[in-house]
Amino acid sequence: MSTKSKVASLVVSAALVATVPAWAHHSFSIFDAEQTKTFTGVVTRVNPDANHLQIFFAPMNAERKNVERNAEGKPVVWAVEMAGSAQSAKDGISVNAFPPGTIFSVSLHPLRNGDPAGARAGALYKCPEKTPPAAGKNCDTVTGSLTIGGDVPVPAATTN
Amino acid sequence: MDLPGIVQLIHDSALSEWLRSSLKAMPIVEAIHVMTAATVFGTILVVDLRLLGWPSTQRSFSRLHGELMRWTWGAFVISVITGVLLFVVNSVTYYGNTAFRLKMLALLFAGVNMFVFERVTGRDAAAWDKGPTPSSARVAGALSLTIWVSVLFIARWIGFTKGYDFSIPDNVNLDLNFGQ
Repeated sequence: MSTKSKVASLVVSAALVATVPAWAHHSFSIFDAEQTKTFTGVVTRVNPDANHLQIFFAPMNAERKNVERNAEGKPVVWAVEMAGSAQSAKDGISVNAFPPGTIFSVSLHPLRNGDPAGARAGALYKCPEKTPPAAGKNCDTVTGSLTIGGDVPVPAATTN
Repeated sequence: MDLPGIVQLIHDSALSEWLRSSLKAMPIVEAIHVMTAATVFGTILVVDLRLLGWPSTQRSFSRLHGELMRWTWGAFVISVITGVLLFVVNSVTYYGNTAFRLKMLALLFAGVNMFVFERVTGRDAAAWDKGPTPSSARVAGALSLTIWVSVLFIARWIGFTKGYDFSIPDNVNLDLNFGQ
């Protein structure tokens, strides 16, 4: 192989490696632990991945009457990621426990790259069915809400 | 019921829920899947190389084929069972994953290639049992090798492309209007 083709194959290999999405099974350093965001949202889907369970949700607006929408009128969707499905199930977080439509509150450390996802920080607070919190509040303030997955509270400050 | 409906049914099954909730089940299933996949690929590799004439064509093809294929098929059956369990545990995500679909397609190609070899190309294997393989057999070997290497590469790709799928399922209603 000539030097030229060696260089070319190196460049191609590097490009291939660089394009592999690196976060299917990843370290948690991709999340910014210095930042914590708190959301109250509506579950759209749970991906019970063996490595990292993900809950996808549509954040509710400050009035807690509807979900937030982008400029095109489409609901905004965020994801909160945590331990693998088996470990999460032990904490009470599963597909069955969070069916679509569930209203819950969660704090998360967002991704450093700005994508709408983050690593779970503390417990999840599940509102009673179809019972959102009052404007500007989270599920921990709703009578009958459930605290799931630990006892670290959602920070009092509401960022969403 | 359509295919996505069946996939959702599998996802909601008791078996799926049990596998997801067990700390030990999936690591054991995955380990067995890897071991049996390695056996399938390893035995097929030896047969394919013999078809290509490496390291030589002196060894009886029918004997090699007969001895190794029983291991291939035995391991393949266990690999399929464990593979189905891996699918069951998170069927909705795998169903929507392009790498997973490509792997299933590659496995289909591998099956067709094997079927054609067993029924057509390999039927006159007695004629070249201990001699140079005809070009049709060499093509079958090269094709098989290419397809099975693809299967392994694509299979690993699945684990790295599950990322974030922000799409909202059709059956989720977000027009809430609470308190109105």
